[in-house]
Amino acid sequence: MRGYTRLGLGLLVAMALLAVVGPWIAGSPYSQPNLLRDALLPPSGAHWFGTDQFARDVFARLAWGARNSLAVATIAVAVATTVGAIVGLAAGGRDGILGGMLRRLIDVGLALPRIIVLLVLIAAIGRLSTLQLALVIGLTGWPGIARLVRGETLRLRNAPYVIAARALGARPARVLWHDIFPGTLAPVLVAATLGIADAILLEAGLSFIGLGLPLPEPSWGGMMLEAREVLGRAPWLLFFPAAALVTATSAATLLGDALRRTLQPDSR
Amino acid sequence: MTALLEVQNLRISFPRRDATPLIPVDDVSFQIAAGELVALVGESGCGKTLTGLAMPRLLPANARLGTDTVIRLGETDLAHASDSTLRSIRGRRIAMVFQDPMSSLNPVMRVGAQIAEAVTAHARVGRADARARAIALLTEVGIADPATRVDAYPHQLSGGMRQRVMLAIALAGEPELLIADEPTTALDVTVQAQMLELLDALRQKRGMAVLLITHDLGIVAGRADRVLVMYAGRVVESATTAALFAAPAHPYTQGLFASIPRLENSASRLTPIPGTVPPPDQWPSGCRFHPRCSVAVSRCRTERPPLEPIGAGHDVACWVASGAAP
Repeated sequence: MRGYTRLGLGLLVAMALLAVVGPWIAGSPYSQPNLLRDALLPPSGAHWFGTDQFARDVFARLAWGARNSLAVATIAVAVATTVGAIVGLAAGGRDGILGGMLRRLIDVGLALPRIIVLLVLIAAIGRLSTLQLALVIGLTGWPGIARLVRGETLRLRNAPYVIAARALGARPARVLWHDIFPGTLAPVLVAATLGIADAILLEAGLSFIGLGLPLPEPSWGGMMLEAREVLGRAPWLLFFPAAALVTATSAATLLGDALRRTLQPDSR
Repeated sequence: MTALLEVQNLRISFPRRDATPLIPVDDVSFQIAAGELVALVGESGCGKTLTGLAMPRLLPANARLGTDTVIRLGETDLAHASDSTLRSIRGRRIAMVFQDPMSSLNPVMRVGAQIAEAVTAHARVGRADARARAIALLTEVGIADPATRVDAYPHQLSGGMRQRVMLAIALAGEPELLIADEPTTALDVTVQAQMLELLDALRQKRGMAVLLITHDLGIVAGRADRVLVMYAGRVVESATTAALFAAPAHPYTQGLFASIPRLENSASRLTPIPGTVPPPDQWPSGCRFHPRCSVAVSRCRTERPPLEPIGAGHDVACWVASGAAP
């Protein structure tokens, strides 16, 4: 196991601990009883990462935010991968009108800038719940996966074992699902892992411009948004969520690369 | 003797943009009787693999069959059959074994599951029964310790064993005709012999017809009932194995025999056929073999020789061999 893979795993474990155990030991992410006394405290034994201008414990918000951010990213990637795999398989496996239409649909999806589409969708929907945000991010992320799966499907369609399956009289749908789909899993798994980093950043970015999870729901992007107002007096308010963001995206990227090396040793 | 499979005027063409279509297989006709072993012999690029793929209609999507092509299996004309008819025939009446056992098995499925898949593709069989059938088939194709090997992945098996697994998959549907496309080319010589032995034994046991596609005349000797020799997309000679080996009539067939190494006169040099098979877009007029032929006459350059009988069950497409040319 390479050093980077270890690092990625270590960061992943740290993030998982923060999201799973953190909220449990940190207590409430909302205001302390005494607003005047407990606002903007620097990191200390009582408040590990300090408190913000509303006298909220930064560690608690970071931990609850980890839950939100990672849940949104995971669900979003699951949605994007499922939709992308189905569309890609159908686009690559079917000739004729359906295949051609799906291919163009993928091209259109790739051509539209994801962030613009997200902004339009969110503007149309209004305030989003955690699940809605995850779905919206996921439903704008499928074209990349679909292109990948379509390419793999086209490649595997002419693989001798696929022709052998057809020679047995297998139906086209069965060939697609049984013989072609498993062969596309390796690159899809890599792309999905790398896609988690994208989804985390997108969620943070949307929350930072106030379009993600509505405040005061804790999220890393939202924390950075609020930190802006008092940045000069309380730099830890920006530092900790930013560090968490870097840690989580690095973990996903390092693990994605490790998976790529393991599952696709001949790529690059 | 009624034919199990009758192929008439098989013509496979590939349309091309801004050019005349490529026609890698042209006007091929032959029959296969039930239980018969027919060998289809020719060099690389002569169209023998496409011919094999054409019967279960597994040609590439852009390939077209000729309008008067007939591929009759019993009452059905496969050249004009619907997709669902073709699916019901593939695997159950016509099965295939492919050349490369390394890539013709699904790398991510256990071999038992792949055989079971072939079993369940056409019959309603429970999971346990399908597994038992897979083990029985592995036993039938001579795999040692089938109860363990049934759970192996393809990469855990040797080339010879993988080819046996391919054969087990093909046999699962109890086909009447097995098309084996170069089934031994990727194997060691000793394993080749075992494989052919097995193929022949299974054919006799099951009364299954076999079309053996090969470039190796040596494989054909002693096993095939009849031999079809293909050159540049056409059948140039068709004969019983005995007649062909006793007196090959077509200069191309003679050339093939002359280029087989022999033990008895190892001092003499091999006589290769000069040149190579031209690609389909450069096939010459008349007899397509004439530029490489040592006995070609002027008629060979302009007029295509038909496949004509020169003896009992012995047809040849050559002006010189059939005595029609001076």
